[in-house]
Amino acid sequence: MLRIIAGLDRPTSGRVTLDGREVTGPGADRGMVFQSYTLFPWLTVRENIAFGLRERGVPEKKRHEIADAFIRRVGLSGFENHWPKQLSGGMQQRTAIARALANDPKILLLDEPFGALDNQTRALMQEMLLGIWERDQKTVLFVTHDIEEAIFLGSRVIVMSARPGRIKAEIAVDLPHPRSYKIKTTPEFVALKERLVEEIRTEALKVAEQA
Amino acid sequence: MRPLEPTTSKQRVAYGLAFFVLFVALWSWATFGGHVSKTFLANPLTMVQEGYELLAKQGFLFDIGMTIWRVIGGFVLAAVIAVPLGVLMGAYKPIEAFLEPFVSFARYLPASAFIPLLILWAGIGELQKLLVIFIGAVFQIILMVAVTVGATRRDLVEAAYTLGARDSGIIRRVLLPSAAPEIAEILRLVLGWAWTYVIVAELIGSSSGIGHMITDSQALLNTGQIIFGIIVIGLIGLSPISCSRRSTPGYSLGSLHDPASDRSGLANLPRPRRQRTDPRAGADNARCRRQ
Repeated sequence: MLRIIAGLDRPTSGRVTLDGREVTGPGADRGMVFQSYTLFPWLTVRENIAFGLRERGVPEKKRHEIADAFIRRVGLSGFENHWPKQLSGGMQQRTAIARALANDPKILLLDEPFGALDNQTRALMQEMLLGIWERDQKTVLFVTHDIEEAIFLGSRVIVMSARPGRIKAEIAVDLPHPRSYKIKTTPEFVALKERLVEEIRTEALKVAEQA
Repeated sequence: MRPLEPTTSKQRVAYGLAFFVLFVALWSWATFGGHVSKTFLANPLTMVQEGYELLAKQGFLFDIGMTIWRVIGGFVLAAVIAVPLGVLMGAYKPIEAFLEPFVSFARYLPASAFIPLLILWAGIGELQKLLVIFIGAVFQIILMVAVTVGATRRDLVEAAYTLGARDSGIIRRVLLPSAAPEIAEILRLVLGWAWTYVIVAELIGSSSGIGHMITDSQALLNTGQIIFGIIVIGLIGLSPISCSRRSTPGYSLGSLHDPASDRSGLANLPRPRRQRTDPRAGADNARCRRQ
């Protein structure tokens, strides 16, 4: 679904519209962060973040200013001139998020961006992303298998059914902002989690029966 | 000794030199000991003397210069045409479908088989020598560059699209830099092959060059000069090769199987292993090339 919204795949039927305009191909108005590490290995952190800006013809000085601002936002100051292979997985994904944000997209599409990270790093990355969202209030569509991650980050959690992928349930998350990691142990959080676990478990069971 | 256990660099040099010493020792034993007739194989001392004679009195340096210029000239000509064409073939599948069958066919035509035809067309001047190198190198470079560019990581291309890149931006800013280290490696490999073509081209209908000297010496049964000429070729060839091997440890040449390239059916090409090395290694490689 994310790939269709991003314009990388064509829908077999139906259409995708963003602010009333139909999506026909990939574009800079929909920033995407992939599950795999997709930084350009021949560019430094700063050049990676400025990739989209350069493609739009933003002058070099302005590019550097914008890139450096986003480097600070994702906490990578001091790594501007590092190569991607010198960074840890978490740092690479932070750069990828900064790269997508630097284009100032209308919507940010995140495809399990923290899936390959260890638990501790993942928790810190969630807090960082939440901090960015609380400041910008930019629409983020975040795909994840991690229920806790979905509740912690989301305002609405949409449960997709197993094949065929349909929208099965939509659950509003009314937890107040700003959220801190401590919220994960509150009774409200746990109640939401319990509900989602049930929804998803029935889907998982269906898949297991079909197999 | 244990499998894959590394050696220190000092040991490497020592072992490497040891074989040269052993080789010369065997050669000396065969020639000075009278086990091989002088007519067929000169001894090392005679070879050195003949080499000095060639360099000092017979203007052999000019021959070496001519040969190098022919290799470089023909090779640069081939690279200038083949690299852009290969990039286009790798990037645009219809162009690949259009050209790939013919180029694959032409790749197997030995450059030396064209020599009689080229003499007919271009005479026995410099143009003919350059064309032999050109024919020998151009098809190889086209195919290998096309495969390399075609095997660019798809997710990097998609990421560039979502960042607003257009098609020209994809080629200039994703496909080219992604393939650049391997293109440098391909050029180095084919430059080595070009050396074999130039000698063959000079063996027939030539009045200068290392190959010409070797045929001349054959007529005079001067095996010392022939061996000296061969050693000079080896030494010139060795310099860029050893240089690049030091700077890109991640690369190895040969028929390494790469499933990613199977799609295009060109997997049996000798090509560098797809392995992302530090971008600076590519720069090192380029520096080596200029030396």
